[in-house]
Amino acid sequence: MAVTSFAHWLETRMWAEAFAGSVLLYPIVLATHLTCIAFFGGMILVTNLRLLGYGFAGRSAGDLIRKLRWWKRAGFVIMATCGALLAGSEAGRYSVNPYFWTKLTLLALLGVHGMAFRRSVYGNVEELDGAGIMPVRAKLAAALSLLLWTGVVCSGRMIGYYQNVGEYLVSVQSSVHSEIHAVFKSKYFSRACKDLSRP
Amino acid sequence: MAVPLDSVLENDWLFPVAQCIHILSFALSIGTITLVDLCLLGVAFPREAAPQLLRSTGLWTLVGLVLIVFSGLTLFATDPDQYYLNSAFQVKIGCLVVAILLNYTIHRKVAKSASGSAADKFVAISSIALWIGVIFSGLFIGFA
Repeated sequence: MAVTSFAHWLETRMWAEAFAGSVLLYPIVLATHLTCIAFFGGMILVTNLRLLGYGFAGRSAGDLIRKLRWWKRAGFVIMATCGALLAGSEAGRYSVNPYFWTKLTLLALLGVHGMAFRRSVYGNVEELDGAGIMPVRAKLAAALSLLLWTGVVCSGRMIGYYQNVGEYLVSVQSSVHSEIHAVFKSKYFSRACKDLSRP
Repeated sequence: MAVPLDSVLENDWLFPVAQCIHILSFALSIGTITLVDLCLLGVAFPREAAPQLLRSTGLWTLVGLVLIVFSGLTLFATDPDQYYLNSAFQVKIGCLVVAILLNYTIHRKVAKSASGSAADKFVAISSIALWIGVIFSGLFIGFA
C-alpha cells in the first residue's frame, strides 16, 4: 500500500505531470538515456572484456579502469537522472510493472557487486597489473558485471511491453466501443434504419 | 522467405528480443567508436593512444555493427511499410550510412595517424554527433 500511495504522490507532482504531458520532452529524455547506454555502457563493456582477456591487450586493465572511472560515474548520474524522470512521471504504472522491479533489483545487485569487488578488483589496479595473469576474482567480477548489466538493459526495454491485465481490458474495451460507435455513425447504418422504418 | 517473416510476425517475443539485442550491440559498437573519438579529442586517453585503441576496439566495433544490422533487419521485417514511410526512420538510415562510411574511411585514417590537428577533432566531433543522431532518430521512429 505504501508503494501505491507513494507512486501516486510522485506522479501527481507538478514536474511529473508537466513532464508526462510534454510531447517532445519525454522522447528526448528517453533518447538521452539510450545515448548514455551507448557511450558509457560501452565503457563498461570494454573494461569487462579487458578483464576477461578478450582483446585490448595493448592496454593494461588497471589503466582502463583508472582512465574510464570518472566517465562512467558521470554517465551513470546522467543516465539515472533521465531514468528517474521517466519512471517518476509514470510512477503508478511502473509500480505494478514486474520488469521495472526486476531492473531495480539488478541495479541494487550491481551496487552490491561494486562494493564486494572494490577492494580486490576495481580499487586494486596496481596489483591487477602486477600479476602476470588476470586473477580469477577479477574475471569473476567482470563476468558478473556483464551478466547484470545485460539484464538491466533487457529488463529496461521490457518495461514498455508489460501491460497490466486491468489496463489491457480497458484498452480492449475502448477499442470495441469505438468500433461499435463507428458502425452506428456510418451512413450505411442510418440508411438501413430509414429503410426499416419505412412503412 | 515466408518462414522467417511469418515467425517474426507470429512470435510475440521475437520483436522485444531483437530490440534488446539491438540496444546491447549498439552499446558495444557505438561505445567503442566514441572511445576512439574521445581519444582523438585528447580526453580520457592521451592522443597518441588512438592507433592502438583503434586496433584493439576494431573487432568489437565490427561485431556490434553486424549484430545491429541483423537485429535491425528483423525489426524492419515485421512491418516494412511502417518503417520506410516514417520520416524519423529515413533520417536514421541517412545518419547511419554516413556514420558507417565515415567510420571506415576518414575516421580510421585519422585515428591511425593521430596527429592531434584541428581536422582530427572535427572528425571526432562529427562522428559523435552522427551516432547521437542515429540513436535519437531511431528512438523517434516510435514517436513520429
